[in-house]
Amino acid sequence: MPLQTGTTLSAAFMSKAEIIAILLFIGLAGLCGVRAIGESNLPAAQAAPAQEAWQKEFDQVCSKTQDAMTFSPKELTVLIQRCDALLPQIEKLDDTRKKVYMGRLRMCRGLYAYVLDSKRNEKK
Amino acid sequence: MCSIRKEMKRNECGLLLLVLACGVLSLGNIASAQIYLPAAPPEQPSEYGKVILDCYSSTGGPGAVVFDHWLHRSKFTCRLCHVDIGFAMQAKATGITADTNRKGFHCGACHDGKKSFDGKIIFASCSDAANGEQCTRCHSLGRKDVRKYEYKSYTEKFPKGIYGVDWQAAERAGVIQPADFLEGLSVKKARLQSREDFSVKAHYSWVSDITFSHKKHSVWNGCEVCHPDIFPTTKKGTIRYSMYLNIQGRYCGACHGKVAFPLNNCQSCHPLGPAWATQNRPTPARSE
Repeated sequence: MPLQTGTTLSAAFMSKAEIIAILLFIGLAGLCGVRAIGESNLPAAQAAPAQEAWQKEFDQVCSKTQDAMTFSPKELTVLIQRCDALLPQIEKLDDTRKKVYMGRLRMCRGLYAYVLDSKRNEKK
Repeated sequence: MCSIRKEMKRNECGLLLLVLACGVLSLGNIASAQIYLPAAPPEQPSEYGKVILDCYSSTGGPGAVVFDHWLHRSKFTCRLCHVDIGFAMQAKATGITADTNRKGFHCGACHDGKKSFDGKIIFASCSDAANGEQCTRCHSLGRKDVRKYEYKSYTEKFPKGIYGVDWQAAERAGVIQPADFLEGLSVKKARLQSREDFSVKAHYSWVSDITFSHKKHSVWNGCEVCHPDIFPTTKKGTIRYSMYLNIQGRYCGACHGKVAFPLNNCQSCHPLGPAWATQNRPTPARSE
């Protein structure tokens, strides 16, 4: 019986140690995980989830540059306005992404403005 | 008598001054005329379009990077790198660092050790796991026999023009198929609706007018590489294009004379010879 009690106590102690070990493991894993996310070296496209709203809008707006000449002045004006609305969101990105996407947005907006200007000149 | 001599002397002095002024003026004209002649490209076409990237590399780093346009343009369009990836067309304006490469920007957009091209994995740039040999594939300035690709063997089967590879012919013949899309970075676009070709009038009688092909240029550049940054005007006749401005790196000279065929390859733009010699000749159809 005492042996039995001893076994029960020992079993209870082991389970506590196991729980502490598991908690410690989870804690450490959590910390490492946070660090891994913070210092991510994933490619830009993976590091920045495609679901980000600004990126979706950017893709939609700037996917139309090939067809710029087919748009009416009204449509081009809307596209330019959408580009302008994206600017403050892109300005919030980290330095490298900001530089890359600001450049792309500038080119994209510039092209729409250029085509709009040429259409206005055609009318004159 | 004395006054006549004095006047003669004065006239001689005036004549001398006039001759001197004419001499200075004609020397000045010769000098300025020489400016309008495009410089010859490097003797070796392999050197043409070579870019040395050295913002930080040679100061305590692994040495300057040698970037060969001929290698990369055989695989990718100009637009992909200069628009989607964000490589500026001016020196030291991109801000490439080992860190930006590791994060998947700039060189690291393709050189990430995961993406593949032609069935081969593209080596990772500035990877922590890289050994010295891998670093010198790019950081190769002043090093011999460290580059994997050599111009001569790499371009052996490419059609050649007056100066090096005829990239347009290579693209037309399907020898190269430059990629214009990079997964995760490029935006899916509809096929480009090519604009009509147009003519640019030559200012001089000894060259023919230029027939500018939008189709040929848009294969490599899309629209936004050229407009509005390089060609900003939308009103015909507002800019007087000239060889002088081209040589200064503006307009056509933003690419031609640096990477695209050299500016002294006159016939590629002025294909018909002098205007006076072609006045009664029908314009031949240009091959696309």
